[in-house]
Amino acid sequence: MTWLVPLPVVLPLLGAGLALVLGRRPGLQRVLSLVVLTAVVAVAAALVVRTDRHGPQVLWIGAWEEPLGISLVADRLSALMLLVSSVVALAVLVYSIGQGMTGGERDTPLTIYHPTFLVLSAGVSNAFLAGDLFNLFVSFEMLLFASYVLLTLGGTGARIRAGTIYVVVNVVSSSLFLISIAAVYAATGSLNLAQLAGRLDQVPEGLSLVLQLLLLTTFSIKAAVFPLSFWLPDSYPTAPAPVTAVFAGLLTKVGIYAIIRTQTLLFPDRPLTDLLLVASLLTLVVAIMGAVAQTDIKRMLSFTLVSHIGYMLFGIAIGSVTGYAGAVFYVAHHITIQTTLFLVLGLVERRGGSTSLLRLGGLARMAPVLGVLYFVPAMNLAGIPPMSGFLGKVALTDAGLEHGTVLSYVVVAAGMVTSLLTLYAVAKAWNLAFWRTPEEAHEMAVALIDHGRRVGSHEVVEHRDHLHIGGSTFGAVDRAEARRILDEDDGDNRDLHQLTEEGALPTRLPRTMVGATASLVVAGLALTVVAGPLFGYADRAATNLLDRDHYVEAVLPGGVR
Amino acid sequence: MTASLALILAAAAMIGCGVYLVLERSLTRVMVGLLMLGNGVNVLFLVSGGAAGRAPIVGENGTEEMSDPLPQALVLTAIVISLATTAFVVAMAYRSWQLTGHDDVQDDVEDRAIRRLAATDAASDSFDLASGGGEEDLEMPEEEGQTA
Amino acid sequence: MLALLLAHLGAAVAAPALVRRLGRRAFGLLALVPAAAAIWALTWTGRVADEGSATQVVEWVPTLHLDLAFAMGSLQWVMVLVVAGVGALVLAYCAWYFDDDHPGLAAFAGCFVAFAGAMLGLVLADDLLLLYVFWELTTVFSYLLIGHDPTKRVGRAAGLQALVVTTFGGLAMLVGVLVIGLEAGTFRIGSIIADPPSGTAVTVAVLLLLVGAISKSALFPFHFWLPAAMAAPTPVSAYLHAAAMVKAGVYLVALLAPAFADVPGWRGVLLSLGVATMLLGGWRALRQYDIKLLLAYGTVSQLGFLLVVAGIGTRAAALAALAMLVAHALFKAALFLVVGIIDRRTGTRDLRELSGLGRTAPTLAVVAVVAGASMAGLPPLTGFVAKESVFAALLDVAEEGERTGLPAVAGWAVAVGVVLGSVLTVAYTARFLWGAFATKPATAVTTPARIGAGFLAAPLLLAAGSLVVGFLGGPESEVMAPHAARFPDLGHGGELALWHGPNLALGLSVLALVVGLLLFRVRAWFAGLQHDLSPGWSSERGYFRAMRLLDRAAVELTSVTQRGSVSIYLGVVLAVVVLLPGLAMLPALADHHDLVGWDNAGQAVVAAIVVVASVLTVRSRRRLKAVVLVGVTGYGTAMLFLLHGAPDLALTQVLVETVTLVAFVLVMRRLPEYFTDRPLSRSRYWRMALAALVAVVVAGVMVAATAARTAAPVSVGFPEAAVDFGGGHNIVNVTLVDIRAWDTLGEISVLVAAATGVASLIFLHTRRAVVRRVGLVTEPSTRVWLPGSLGLAPDRRSIIFEVVTRLVFHTIVVFSIYLLLTGHNHPGGGFAAGLVTGLALVVRYLAGGRHELAEAAPIDAGALMGTGLSVAAVSALAPLAFGGAVLQSAIVDVHLGPVGDVHLVTSVFFDVGIYLLVVGLVLDLLRSLGAEIDRHIVREAES
Repeated sequence: MTWLVPLPVVLPLLGAGLALVLGRRPGLQRVLSLVVLTAVVAVAAALVVRTDRHGPQVLWIGAWEEPLGISLVADRLSALMLLVSSVVALAVLVYSIGQGMTGGERDTPLTIYHPTFLVLSAGVSNAFLAGDLFNLFVSFEMLLFASYVLLTLGGTGARIRAGTIYVVVNVVSSSLFLISIAAVYAATGSLNLAQLAGRLDQVPEGLSLVLQLLLLTTFSIKAAVFPLSFWLPDSYPTAPAPVTAVFAGLLTKVGIYAIIRTQTLLFPDRPLTDLLLVASLLTLVVAIMGAVAQTDIKRMLSFTLVSHIGYMLFGIAIGSVTGYAGAVFYVAHHITIQTTLFLVLGLVERRGGSTSLLRLGGLARMAPVLGVLYFVPAMNLAGIPPMSGFLGKVALTDAGLEHGTVLSYVVVAAGMVTSLLTLYAVAKAWNLAFWRTPEEAHEMAVALIDHGRRVGSHEVVEHRDHLHIGGSTFGAVDRAEARRILDEDDGDNRDLHQLTEEGALPTRLPRTMVGATASLVVAGLALTVVAGPLFGYADRAATNLLDRDHYVEAVLPGGVR
Repeated sequence: MTASLALILAAAAMIGCGVYLVLERSLTRVMVGLLMLGNGVNVLFLVSGGAAGRAPIVGENGTEEMSDPLPQALVLTAIVISLATTAFVVAMAYRSWQLTGHDDVQDDVEDRAIRRLAATDAASDSFDLASGGGEEDLEMPEEEGQTA
Repeated sequence: MLALLLAHLGAAVAAPALVRRLGRRAFGLLALVPAAAAIWALTWTGRVADEGSATQVVEWVPTLHLDLAFAMGSLQWVMVLVVAGVGALVLAYCAWYFDDDHPGLAAFAGCFVAFAGAMLGLVLADDLLLLYVFWELTTVFSYLLIGHDPTKRVGRAAGLQALVVTTFGGLAMLVGVLVIGLEAGTFRIGSIIADPPSGTAVTVAVLLLLVGAISKSALFPFHFWLPAAMAAPTPVSAYLHAAAMVKAGVYLVALLAPAFADVPGWRGVLLSLGVATMLLGGWRALRQYDIKLLLAYGTVSQLGFLLVVAGIGTRAAALAALAMLVAHALFKAALFLVVGIIDRRTGTRDLRELSGLGRTAPTLAVVAVVAGASMAGLPPLTGFVAKESVFAALLDVAEEGERTGLPAVAGWAVAVGVVLGSVLTVAYTARFLWGAFATKPATAVTTPARIGAGFLAAPLLLAAGSLVVGFLGGPESEVMAPHAARFPDLGHGGELALWHGPNLALGLSVLALVVGLLLFRVRAWFAGLQHDLSPGWSSERGYFRAMRLLDRAAVELTSVTQRGSVSIYLGVVLAVVVLLPGLAMLPALADHHDLVGWDNAGQAVVAAIVVVASVLTVRSRRRLKAVVLVGVTGYGTAMLFLLHGAPDLALTQVLVETVTLVAFVLVMRRLPEYFTDRPLSRSRYWRMALAALVAVVVAGVMVAATAARTAAPVSVGFPEAAVDFGGGHNIVNVTLVDIRAWDTLGEISVLVAAATGVASLIFLHTRRAVVRRVGLVTEPSTRVWLPGSLGLAPDRRSIIFEVVTRLVFHTIVVFSIYLLLTGHNHPGGGFAAGLVTGLALVVRYLAGGRHELAEAAPIDAGALMGTGLSVAAVSALAPLAFGGAVLQSAIVDVHLGPVGDVHLVTSVFFDVGIYLLVVGLVLDLLRSLGAEIDRHIVREAES
């Protein structure tokens, strides 16, 4: 059955090729990509079952005698990652079809979306399967280039700006990866992870530490670990909603996966616990503060995205079975939830005309379904029990407490603070975008630029370059924003109230989009229901990770080292 | 395994200059920097393969005098990928020129906003927006004895 | 028990639909669910009384020791009756409280029932972690219920406040729970109480639990969220903020007291904060005009009282605490519901506007008076019974203090504090009854709208409860005995009864009553006094300051990290590289190294050239110059490849470099000649430093790495394998298309993505360039070298160039095919071949313009690449059909008689795929960066 292993990569690539050939037949393209991704989900599911029953599934490409060629390896971890990511990718594809992303409408070119999206998913799958360091690099490039294209779709000013930051940072990190690979090959003369596992032990201590740090840095850029994370919130939010969604779900997690792999397989004796603990601490806190500072939900969520990377890193840092199990479970949870939330924001943008807290209001009444679709995953993200976010947090906290060093206690505390602030941020967004009436929002905007006027019972007071209206304080930025909102000539910055007045907004949301989002929300809840078996699986996966021979034996049964 | 200092230096020089250019603001400079970075890295792979030798073509040269073919294959891949990078970034530079009239890297708007917010010494209003009460008007109900 | 919870869940889900169909009447239906729970509990009365208990366990997440474990015992029995009983009544009450067209009623109903379910789960849970689950759920639902009316800013604010404050406590509690679970090896409450863990960790954990409890039960300093929460509709206030949710903290303390009452800090925290809160609440209540707020502060006060009693941990106190909890639920819920009625029927809650309700609404008044009397602790009501037993218990402690670990002084202090609290309680009860019902000479008599019997039913029943339970002291104490039995007995175990004979407790009750009423008489003077004494600060303000500070800090911090500029982000990344691997490298370098100056003289020379070129590139300020110089480094690299013995690399590098240059120049013609001029900033020095350091680190790493190599490289196996298994002599090519073909497959998909991206950026709207052939526009008779060039302006045409192009084009293409086919054994292969063909197209384009390009390749580039990728993918999958592995290649020797033998390796198909794809790539680049940009230029010229 090892022939299953390469399919999650080859099928999407074949699909991408055909999609390009079918350039003139958008209908066929849709069917094609749907079929391909569904097939991938099926394969991934099969792999999960097989790896769980029969251990790692290994395939040497081209049947070359090991260790000459490239090996693809699906162990429990890879299989799970593969399954979750492919499910998410499928949902996003359906959503984007519903949105008309792929239909060749104005800002979304015709034959760009499908092939690129397929290359992206092929790249992600390959990253999870690669058993060879350089091949891992290639998979990174696949998903990166696809992401470059998707991020700059339509080439608007904002997207080019965001794209530049994203592309440049990632190209540099790719070069860093190449340098690391060159160094590793120079030192060991091999690229196969299983073989490296053996050969890196022969390398002098000092050098192997250097190699470890090089790889760690490279992957931390992908995973957006502090301080290598600043680029992310500046690049993700500008993309079209489904694109942001799939990025948020998958790309950073590929980085996390790579970290887990190298830490457990290549450098098991040097967990660098304290270094990683500090990194996770800063990632958690600094990023969540960023989330609190935002007044745009999309940006706010890209900060929570970064912040929660800290949780997974925490599990890795602890390096115990509990820690890794928690990290693995949390990755699965986080992929699902972050993607869901960004899809929801796509719906918000469609229904409310923006994701800015200064412009939105009253969504809970206007679109109750949308309200539920936001609230449930938002609470899940904030780790409200009994949802998966909570369960993951419990596992990681347990790991931290078991570890029992001062630093780990500190990070546990930071984790709690982070989830409180996450709750604060998402609830704030709920208060403003879903509860407060659009009229009230608009009234605020008006009051911000014309001073004489009163808001309700409060009068507007100016003080040290910012306004007080009742208890609310507004800075220059908000006033500029308000000016834009109320600018007659500027049609793109109307707030929800104005847009509703003009009837410029769709009152019904496309079924496919809602359906896709809803199914992901349900999937998120399902994680809670199946938490028992899932955690069992994560636990076994973690146990495998910590016993690297399990992996090495499977790849190089011949005992080649 | 012996390493050629000449190669390492050439690579380091290209990488160094590449890095310097990448830190520039003009997209074209950045682009040139990335190219140089790429070339430098490719040379590193030669180093990682050990000493120079004859072309790794069986029959033409003896196995033992060949240069290590594996890094060469990797470099081939890398070269092609850097071609892809070039093409894409060049296109991006063109687009950015179309939009702004120059090809300089823009700063992120939202971030500038936050920075200005900090500068204007106003706390992010979002809490107040949400709570509807800063302490100035904690909506405290009237209580008996206040007039007393 | 699980069934009951699921019933609640189901009802909650169904509620919105029900309300939409039936309107407010739906509440009557929904009330049946908690009612069922209450009845179920009643059926347990007997069993509970004789210490019967039951547990139900459903495994959930064994890895986390988290199970759906539920238990029914004496304590749970009490709580279920309170939670479900009051819940049912309040739900029924809602049917009269709301109008059918009340906005958001459907959602409200759903949340309310869901809350009731969560509360039920909280009191039934036998797993500390599960208890926490329900604990947080109640928090979330209360948030939704408080902020239920979105038009009210205050409501939203209060909701968020309650959410943040209680979750803060909740998270502290979570850590506590996890630590205890870790120490005890289980979360099962039964077993934890059976043998409680101990140690410093546990002490800390227990205190963390208490943080959760006091924040939930609104003890000082967290009390302020409760009065604010009064923004919620009255049924919510009555249920969540009087009877049910706020009791969660009391329940937790009562539940764990048997295990942890002796943990250092437990009594200290609970008794001090409890008494403080009791006094603070009463004190604030005395000044309220809004009768609902008055009750709210009353509740704060009572909660402090409850936690004091529950925290002491003696048998008498435990019993008293339960009695008091029941009493409070009964009278406080009743009073809130009364306020609700007044509010809805008179339109005000301000006691300055209410007057004479006592006469205009007698029944209501009676209900209120009974409930109020219970609150003030008047016989024969249950409030009196409970308070008596509390006093008794406290006096025990004061006298026998040592055995509870409390010094007698503390015991007495608490007793005094509680008596003072009761005095205030009496006073604000009087104020409430007077304010709501008395006839005030100054104010006009308020006549309420008709108050339906149904509306009145719930408060009536609750008040009646206060009366009845008062007489049921005996049976009550019997049922509660099993719980009380878990505590040490100090002399008299305590018995709930109306009459214990004349004793100190009774005396205290009387005292409290008398002084309380006095206080009420002099209320005006006292209020003035209070005003003068009121401190400048309050925890409300504290909370707001904290949140403001948080937001401020967030903004400041973010403004530091998010500079929004690429160079700074990259700077950080590279700095990390220099700091982590860089510093680690220094010791690594200390090991031996075997460097040679150069492998051959040529290498040294070329290297030198490359270095110079790089430096010059950095210095150049003209775009074109920079590009040409970087080209030099590129060709230099190619030279190094050649000298190193890598002809394939050299060939590809040259070709790629050329294509790159072309791409550059094509775009460059549009960009300004010079780089944007900006004053040389100081920043360039740190950039130089950083760049230099990075270079050093990289060099160092390579030196150290090469020195460390001991094992033979994998590739020693290549030559033999390449020939025997790969069927080719050019090892590099075999590696590309066979040994490591998987890399190549990925890499060509990268090319596809990149080309697509370029097209997307240049064409923006549609992927496909229009292929317009000139053959259609010009009459075929005119014979020209390059027909496409007709589209060019005469001055841009160069006949010689066209002639040469015409001659060389096909030669180049043929050569490229040769490269493709021989690549397996000689330098060449799909990439090189594709690029060569591509260059041929470049020449055609340069000579004849975009129409000529269309002439040369009248096909869609995208489709061409697509075909290439598909061919590659198919040839990868094909072997599966023959039972081989993906990308496995076979060597086929075909005998074609006279023509001779053809030695065919199937991997050539893969190589063909690559070839097509690369041609497509170059074509696509020409279409986008060449033809399309031409078109842009033309368009601009026209406009």
